[in-house]
Amino acid sequence: MFKIKIIITLLLLAGVAGGFAYVQKLRADNAVLKINQEKLETAVSDQKELIENQQKDFEQILNANKKMNELVNVLKKDLEDLDKRFNKKNRDVGKLAIAKTESIERITNNASKAANRCIEIASGAELTEAEKNATKKSEINTECPSIANPNYIPY
Amino acid sequence: MLILTIFLTSCSGVKKLSIFKEEVPRAELKLEKPTPLQLEELQWIIITSENAEEVFKKLEEKGIDPVLWGLTDKDFELLAKNFARIRNQLKITNDLLDQYKEYYEPKVNEKE
Repeated sequence: MFKIKIIITLLLLAGVAGGFAYVQKLRADNAVLKINQEKLETAVSDQKELIENQQKDFEQILNANKKMNELVNVLKKDLEDLDKRFNKKNRDVGKLAIAKTESIERITNNASKAANRCIEIASGAELTEAEKNATKKSEINTECPSIANPNYIPY
Repeated sequence: MLILTIFLTSCSGVKKLSIFKEEVPRAELKLEKPTPLQLEELQWIIITSENAEEVFKKLEEKGIDPVLWGLTDKDFELLAKNFARIRNQLKITNDLLDQYKEYYEPKVNEKE
């Protein structure tokens, strides 16, 4: 009888110990799950940030391409304008220079000075206030208004 | 004994190992942009068959060697266009450099 009691007690103790161990395991699992959840949330947040950054980069690339295309187009126009100045209405600069030597010499030297300034600006020189504020034809650098006079709108 | 073992196994003193990665940004190149050009002003002289003598005489009076490098009106036109093409290329290259710099080395306040 006494042996039976001991066996039952041991079984009960084993049951309690098993139950306790099971609860401990569940707690440990729960803690791991919580950590995993936090990690997943962080990963999702990181991914969102990454996607946002990629979108920003993409917009910046598009913007840079647009700016470069615009620049190429305005510079092309400057070059076409130069060509027009030499050949406008079948103009012959040579004949003009013979007829109005001093006048053409003065125009050439002024244009040369303006073209030098264009090179300086193209190489990174800062625009002067006068260049920035020029809006009239008489105020602009006729050789390269697109880069020398940002506020000038051709009329 | 069994209970004691279970209790002891629950009291773990070992900390969890945490492995993390931190992205170290690449060092910036920080090359200075080239100094903008400052060009010398030059003087164009137009010579025709009519004023040639006068032009050379004026040069001699000013103590300048009476010799000139010449261009026809057509070649002068080509020179002007070549000059404009070089200028355009310089501007494009310079702006391209700015765009790359802006993209890969944005200013700190833009990053934030």
